[in-house]
Amino acid sequence: MIVKVNNLVKRYKELIALDHFNMEVEEGEILGLLGPNGCGKTTAINCILSLLNFDKGEIEVLGKKMTPDSYDIKKQIGLVPQEVSVFEKLTVKENIDYFCGLYIEDKNLREQYVEEAIEFVGLKKYEKFYPKKLSGGLKRRLNIACGIAHKPRLIFLDEPTVAVDAQSRNFILDGIKKLNKEGSTIIYTTHYLEEIEMLCKRIIIMDNGKSLVSGTKEELKAMITTSEKIIVGFLNIEDETINKMKNIPHVIDVEKDDEYYIIKFENGINNLANLLEFIKENNLTYTKLHSQLPSLNDVFLELTGKELRD
Amino acid sequence: MKNIFRNCIYQGKNLFRDFGFSFWSLIYPLIMAIFFYTALSEVLNSELENINVGVDSENPIVYILEEIDFLNIHEITQDEIVKKLDNEEIDGFIDRDLNIKVKESGINQTIIKEVVEQIKQMEKLNRPIENYDFEADYILDRNQKANSLVIIFYSLIAMVSTYGIFAGIETVSLIQANLSNIGERLNITPLRKSKFLLAGVIVALFLNLFANGILIIFIKYALKINLFNEIKYSAILLIMGNLFGVALGVFIGASNKKSSNVKTLIAIAITLALSFLSGMMNPEIKVMIDENAPILSRINPISIITNNLYRINLLESTKSVGEGILILSIYCIVLIFTSYIFLRRKNYDSI
Repeated sequence: MIVKVNNLVKRYKELIALDHFNMEVEEGEILGLLGPNGCGKTTAINCILSLLNFDKGEIEVLGKKMTPDSYDIKKQIGLVPQEVSVFEKLTVKENIDYFCGLYIEDKNLREQYVEEAIEFVGLKKYEKFYPKKLSGGLKRRLNIACGIAHKPRLIFLDEPTVAVDAQSRNFILDGIKKLNKEGSTIIYTTHYLEEIEMLCKRIIIMDNGKSLVSGTKEELKAMITTSEKIIVGFLNIEDETINKMKNIPHVIDVEKDDEYYIIKFENGINNLANLLEFIKENNLTYTKLHSQLPSLNDVFLELTGKELRD
Repeated sequence: MKNIFRNCIYQGKNLFRDFGFSFWSLIYPLIMAIFFYTALSEVLNSELENINVGVDSENPIVYILEEIDFLNIHEITQDEIVKKLDNEEIDGFIDRDLNIKVKESGINQTIIKEVVEQIKQMEKLNRPIENYDFEADYILDRNQKANSLVIIFYSLIAMVSTYGIFAGIETVSLIQANLSNIGERLNITPLRKSKFLLAGVIVALFLNLFANGILIIFIKYALKINLFNEIKYSAILLIMGNLFGVALGVFIGASNKKSSNVKTLIAIAITLALSFLSGMMNPEIKVMIDENAPILSRINPISIITNNLYRINLLESTKSVGEGILILSIYCIVLIFTSYIFLRRKNYDSI
């Protein structure tokens, strides 16, 4: 384990920010820490990095207990904080060089790393710009470059794509995959589902300071009752027929959503075939029909009872 | 060491390119100097005249005073003192107990005070007063357009020398994870907080001394006012003033969690208040404080710098320099030590 967090409790006076939070990260993986705003993701990272003190629990990073004086551990870590954290009066290149130089003393190696980082985030033509001259997306890229230029073994990315345009977001996400391929272990926090789906091998879902579940995408989806949803629009259908529909094998519920019906199935196969047969038997005419496998949002909804994006 | 040097370079660039630094440390003092010069140029350009001193007939040092060429001694009665001071027939009155009465502040009054102090000192040391040469380039032969108003320029330089306060606040803000985003990032790097702070203090000191140098050169060559004749002690005082400013800034930065804007306002309020009390706005304030609460002048860091720059350069008196440097050193040590207590914590309850 490259990171191990056990029963972490952090209180802000009366508020419990982390409630016996647990996390384990394997070397070489991209772990997604998913949860709504305010659920404790950043607090967890800050505790792991020993920026925040905590009330209870144990934290190990790279096999050692993490403390503010763990400089040997810090040398192997990179942080991309949620807020853009760069010197406003240093140029793009100077900023990257400054932060890289805190880890890499050899001047030639540092110059090489800085150039690579600039290329990596696509800021070559902006390297002499001051941050205030950059757009939001470019600033985010600079923020990332400052955190990864020294090629850390373990990288914490705390919502690096917040308020970023789609183009920059894709650029950033591709870069993160590349970093992982180059050998870095990545802990990625976000409340954007599609990013987690796209990037992460393993996911921890957090809410109210707790780690609710953890596992691969498939493992998480298998944890929930609803395994498939079929959305159908009918031309004419009686309430009685709707009730009969609940007798189709594996159907657990039928909900009306505007002009469509959402038919939820629990585990099972041939759900679509069974439904089509029911339609044929009852001479129903449908205007739309599609099947939807469970998403992480469904997992989150079922686990927490609320929408993820808030 | 290499790490500190690198930090100095980058922190220096970050500070030097900041408009706040450029304006408040480089431009604003020049504007103030031009303003003072324009407002006071007529008075500043007047020549120093002989000093009229009133004494009563039984004054024990009257025979010494009469030997000093630049003093005009007038024997007057107690009843005439107030009237002659009011009419400006005398610049000051020395009674038989060697107390000085003055109506207003100014270089003449300061010279009278210095002369009396010198005589008292010679007597205490039991040395023959005849051996002391009051005119040996003491006050008059300096080709200095001296005037009480020159104190305003010393006060301005003293105030600007403490402007490292802003860089001190900024340095603390940059390294504290609960005060800035950069602080959060820096705290998870292998950089030690002490190295960053040390580099910040060195940079603040260096750049502020540079700004002081620009101001002094401007006053000397553009305004043609020669304020500095004693370089060694002046330099020490300015360095100590700068160090005090930076230390106070570090203290303000470290001692509370207010926003940078609030801290800057606190810093401006403190420097302005101390400058006001040291006579920058009106030299009479300084005289009033010297008369009614002299301890304030002795402990006000800007007064310490102002008074000593004035004394060593215009009056060639270095007797209070040691005390001034000692007090400033104590301030610096106390402020840095207290700041260290605030800064030594390495992680935070909240960010």
